[in-house]
Amino acid sequence: MNAARENILGRVRTALRVEAKAPAAPSAAPIFPPVTDLEARFREEFAVLKGEIITDLPAFLTAFPKIASAVPEVAGNSDVRQADLGVTGCDCLLARTGSIAVSTRNAGGRALSVLPPVHLVIARRDQLVPDLTAALALWQQRYDRHWPSNLSVITGASRTGDIEKILVMGAHGPKRLVLYFTD
Amino acid sequence: MTTAAQQFSHAAAAKATDLRHRAIIQKNIASYDIGVARGKDRFADWPNARSRAAAIKFETINHLDRYLEQFERNVLANGGHVHWAEDAEQARQIVLTLARQHGVRKVVKAKSMTTEEIHLNPALEAAGIQPVETDLGEYICQLRNEPPYHIVTPVMHLSKADVAELFHEKFGAALDAPAEELTMVARRQLRQDFLTADMGITGANFLIADTGMIALTTNEGNGRLSVSLPRIHVAIAGIEKLIPRLSDLGLFWPVLCTSGTGQALTSYSTLVGGPRRDGEVDGPAEFHVILLDNGRTKLLANPEMRDVLHCIRCGACLNTCPVYKTIGGHTYATTYQGPIGSVLTPRLRGAAEWSHLSFASSLCGSCTDVCPVRIDLHHHLLHNRRDAIASKFDHPLQRLAFKLWLWVVQSPARYAVAGKLARLGLRLGLGNSFAKPWTATRDLPAPPRQSFRDWWEKVGQASRLSDVKPPTGGTPVQHHP
Repeated sequence: MNAARENILGRVRTALRVEAKAPAAPSAAPIFPPVTDLEARFREEFAVLKGEIITDLPAFLTAFPKIASAVPEVAGNSDVRQADLGVTGCDCLLARTGSIAVSTRNAGGRALSVLPPVHLVIARRDQLVPDLTAALALWQQRYDRHWPSNLSVITGASRTGDIEKILVMGAHGPKRLVLYFTD
Repeated sequence: MTTAAQQFSHAAAAKATDLRHRAIIQKNIASYDIGVARGKDRFADWPNARSRAAAIKFETINHLDRYLEQFERNVLANGGHVHWAEDAEQARQIVLTLARQHGVRKVVKAKSMTTEEIHLNPALEAAGIQPVETDLGEYICQLRNEPPYHIVTPVMHLSKADVAELFHEKFGAALDAPAEELTMVARRQLRQDFLTADMGITGANFLIADTGMIALTTNEGNGRLSVSLPRIHVAIAGIEKLIPRLSDLGLFWPVLCTSGTGQALTSYSTLVGGPRRDGEVDGPAEFHVILLDNGRTKLLANPEMRDVLHCIRCGACLNTCPVYKTIGGHTYATTYQGPIGSVLTPRLRGAAEWSHLSFASSLCGSCTDVCPVRIDLHHHLLHNRRDAIASKFDHPLQRLAFKLWLWVVQSPARYAVAGKLARLGLRLGLGNSFAKPWTATRDLPAPPRQSFRDWWEKVGQASRLSDVKPPTGGTPVQHHP
């Protein structure tokens, strides 16, 4: 389909010979209000998303006979397709939106954080960053030129509002998103 | 044979008086409105966020050749493949060829309007390949064998009872099942499809030039499963979906989510940058991106309307549009509905057949007000109208009427006579035959006893500085529900 490539690029270049009127330049003012207390904000947002923060890890784990794990803190004993709990690490926690950034490097590949019905994230408080912009910068710094093939910003468990905008958790991915701080 | 315009007119008339339809849409959009208002409050400066998004999109679209090539280079460097499709047929053939090469029998699809645009599912089915829509809304559409009603909310037109009835018929679900139970029925069905599919097909919300990644925005996780489990991942995207830098997502993800559903971010904002890498435990062996033109370069060649290519398909213009809310998504009979659809479709699919959409608008400008990338939508509806008339796609009688009108208003005397005749005609009830589509459901206001000119000559001019009340004429329009 090289002909298609040349044709499309040719049409694009011909089209762009005529200039369009540029929109007014935006102001340099910040788009979002600042985030001050990272942990407090994260907890607040995460709770609104129905995320759960646990403090007793061993007690929590007893409820799950089949665990697939990508972290040393939790022993896995199951294949990801059969697991009723998937345990992963993360790159960082986003305070403004209560989100968790993961990649194939710390989430045991692609399926582990989305296929099992419950997703447990093991994190440290020093992984908190203010927002998405900071998370993207961290990814860029950490992975530039050696990118994992898949990265996700996870903001709450799987959900849908397709039927009358009624919120239902666990449409396809995890029904529960759980976080444990190691420090 | 009926034309698209006639079908549109009939369908619009039926939906406009369908009170059940109206109740469902109003409930849905009311909930959207609350969410979006809350979402905008999370910004320090939402209007400036829109301006910034518009500026980045302007920069991208006006250097599109450069960004397309940069994107292609980086996808290749990441181990992916890039295909170029000039039209829908080429895009379908690329998918079918890949499917044949890999012995694909089942495809799981994440929500993608671009695959709707190229009518991919019928082509897959004709080739003996089973496409499974995995977004809950799209899945319901597929089971009902109807197109999405809305580019973001595919089954906005259905009530819970409608879905329960469908799932009762197909899977034996209870007729009074709550939304949660219905969703779990779909989850169980589709889980098997995810585990057995050979190919995952997605769209792309953004194509990122500087890293060669695609960005996917979903809530359900179906997008992530579609790119995790199957052997091959194919992403199909319009060439306008580019953004220059990964860091631009710090703006575009929140802007898209806020305008799309009111969420700060949807559950899963995902980046795919190629096939499974060495050392990774899962993921597709192959990653293909299909870059689709299908008329987009025609818009690019029109500097007046080039900003239509800024569109990030958030659906905000549909949700705010009084026409969309009245006639519903299916009435458009297009892939893209609402104001953006009425602007795009005549350009992408031909003005001769689709110009009526640009005329079906109140020009209230609400679409332009809400657009997160500041597309001048309502003026583009006017541009479409102007060009349609210049191309003589309008009705000959309409053309004649406007000529007559021009002749009348060019002379004060003719204007006065015409006014007198019109008032007389209205009093004799001729209005009901002239304005039938209007008067079928409404009363025409009674004509005033005298024209403003008459009144001015007799009363107004003489007492110009005193507070003479202007004539009261006519009665307000009465609506019959």
